[in-house]
Amino acid sequence: MPVITAAIDPITRIEGHLKVEVKIDTVNGVQQVVDAFSQGTLFRGFEKLLEGRDPRDASLITSRICGVCPTSHSLASVLAQDAAFGVGGDTAARTAARIMRNLVHGACYLESAILHFYLLSLPDYIAGLPMAPWLPGWDVGRRFDPATLSRFTGNFVAAITARRNAHELGAIYGGKLPHTPGNIAGGFTAVSCQADKDAFVAYLNDLITFIQTKHIPDAELLANLYSDYLLLGKGYGNMMSFGVFELDNAPSPQLLFQRGRLVSGNATVQPVEVAQIVEQIKYSWYTGPEVNPAVGDTVPQYPKGDAYSWLKAPRYGGVPYEVGSLARMMVNGDYSNGISVMDRHVARARENLKVALAMRDMLTPRGALGHWLEVGASKITKYQVITPTCWNLSPKDSSGVRGPMEQALVGTPVANVDKPIEVLRVVHSFDPCLDCATHVTRAEPGAKVYALGAISKPA
Amino acid sequence: MPITRRSFFRYCTLSAAALGLDRMKLRLLSEALANPAAPSVIWLIGSSCTGCSVSFLNRISDVPGQPADVADVLLNAINLVFHPTIMGAAGETSVAALKRATAKGNFVLVLEGAVPTKFGGHACVVWNYAGQEVTFQQAVQELTAKAIATVCVGTCASFGGIPASGSNPSGCMGVKQFTGRTTINISGCPANPDWVVWAVVQLLTGTPVTLDEDGRPSALYGYGFDGTTPEDPVIHTKCPLNPDNGTILAQSFGENGHCLSNLGCRGPATKARCNKQWNGIGGHTQGQPHPGHWCIGINAPCNGCVEKSFPGPESFYEPYPFNP
Repeated sequence: MPVITAAIDPITRIEGHLKVEVKIDTVNGVQQVVDAFSQGTLFRGFEKLLEGRDPRDASLITSRICGVCPTSHSLASVLAQDAAFGVGGDTAARTAARIMRNLVHGACYLESAILHFYLLSLPDYIAGLPMAPWLPGWDVGRRFDPATLSRFTGNFVAAITARRNAHELGAIYGGKLPHTPGNIAGGFTAVSCQADKDAFVAYLNDLITFIQTKHIPDAELLANLYSDYLLLGKGYGNMMSFGVFELDNAPSPQLLFQRGRLVSGNATVQPVEVAQIVEQIKYSWYTGPEVNPAVGDTVPQYPKGDAYSWLKAPRYGGVPYEVGSLARMMVNGDYSNGISVMDRHVARARENLKVALAMRDMLTPRGALGHWLEVGASKITKYQVITPTCWNLSPKDSSGVRGPMEQALVGTPVANVDKPIEVLRVVHSFDPCLDCATHVTRAEPGAKVYALGAISKPA
Repeated sequence: MPITRRSFFRYCTLSAAALGLDRMKLRLLSEALANPAAPSVIWLIGSSCTGCSVSFLNRISDVPGQPADVADVLLNAINLVFHPTIMGAAGETSVAALKRATAKGNFVLVLEGAVPTKFGGHACVVWNYAGQEVTFQQAVQELTAKAIATVCVGTCASFGGIPASGSNPSGCMGVKQFTGRTTINISGCPANPDWVVWAVVQLLTGTPVTLDEDGRPSALYGYGFDGTTPEDPVIHTKCPLNPDNGTILAQSFGENGHCLSNLGCRGPATKARCNKQWNGIGGHTQGQPHPGHWCIGINAPCNGCVEKSFPGPESFYEPYPFNP
């Protein structure tokens, strides 16, 4: 029986441009994926187009790396700027800025999780609404009885409103979403008042209700009805989180989700040392040495040998790691059921609630006032933003080791090679965000000051 | 209860009547919807961040005769056959749907993202179909020639935007610059959903759209929404933080409600109706349902994201040299 090659291009219901090619063969009587290729098909070159700009512009420019998670980029950028400028101290001004940054970033987490589960993932399991663009779909592998279908469809419609409200929530302090201009070096531009806080709490309470009564139960029901997907899409099982949501003003603040690594088979959380990261490029359309991002460059080369992606292959100590909601929750000790397609969806839903409740805790009566920290005369001449998302969808590295999603696809059964819905379900569980994946900002050559802003983002 | 297009439309008709709606517009929309010959909408994404699509999903309005939110738009106003971020199908099934809808030219093309021209256009591939790889460049060239009209959503598609800035690593440019064909440019970074919906509704109801010298609808970037009342669109003129209204110039961030000229505001050089127009019902203030927000409202200087020059090499945080 010859090996079948099936390509899905475009992968829809993601952010960005992705082609996934799978080789399908029959193993032990089961038709399944035996090899997979994750191909990023967009390149813009943010790290190069940033060169020559006022470094403070970076938060506004890097925001446009991605319109689904823009706030994470702009926040990571100002964290790097804060470090370079030597912003510090435990003051009311820093507290106010930290809270507003967290609240706007948190609102974007809520929006992203709801968007991902209902609009991006659920159409792999239900038809959505009975018209274009949800039709035509791949009408395969659908298991819901009419009552369950009605529930999911109704919640799908409610989710369209809920995610919009999550952005309305964020805009109270963020001004405009996507692409808030609120994050700046040293703080945040908005000045809060009681009316803002009351409005924020009102929106937030509605979203908490949505997450508790719809998002979490729906994710758990989906996992129940597709319990075979609790055994699919695991990948290597190495999980990493850069940490997110600072809870105090200390130089190394406590985080809502801690930074750390879990190596497959070992339950002890390991530290993350950024110097261990190398981006390999044998199968990526770039040329140059394979080094830590802090000292490397990005030189596109297309076409090139066996390369098949605009994504590089980040490896930590030479090993591929998965990042995202499941990784964050596992590293933080908040989720321990397993690693699979359905574990990703359930973990994301539970993380959503954790973030929303933490946001409500941050709105203390003492809360946000005006802020700004005087920035010294020295300017940033060099900074770096590391986005974790490149990890999941990376191509093979220079040793031929598959990226996490490529590995997760191997062994996935495919009933119909013309409608490989199973492949789509595995891919979507990773919440692919290809714009983020292609871009890692580089340091400017010859710079003297080095600062790092590393952050976890929704996808 | 399954939601059908018809039942949703009936709901909108009833609530619209309660609002004293413009029956003419609603009838036109309903006819457009019911008419099997009504054009489809194809939404294609190129060198983009998808922010304009996310912004489109944020649509919320209480204007009579206009779709209230994105569900309303998709259910009752347009037949969106192709949109990579939300559509059901993937791979060749999705492309086949696009090919069917565009075969006879009866479609409106919406383009988001700039057109990259380096690497033979392979800095952005939009699909693989029947073994053929198609770049965004190729798709844009073919589809703009066939479409009834092309709407560029966002500054990237309109003018090149951020991917075209600095050294322009992928050779990006706006759609009109690439094809030479006229486009309706709804610029903004992202584009405001109300502006996008307005433009699409005009097209589907056969209402002519007057464009300014940058290809943007004068009604959105030049005049009042009713298209007749000349209104100075420059942000600074009507800005509540304008010192003419009694405020002072801010010297640093952290001040509240002061003019942001010293901090980099491009309001005096930017034409757009942004005041309280974002993430809410445009113009609504706190206390009203879905209040609107904007950059200047959170003491963030305007960065001129609707303009052809955006982002420009100039700092966003130093006084803008092109303010009059």
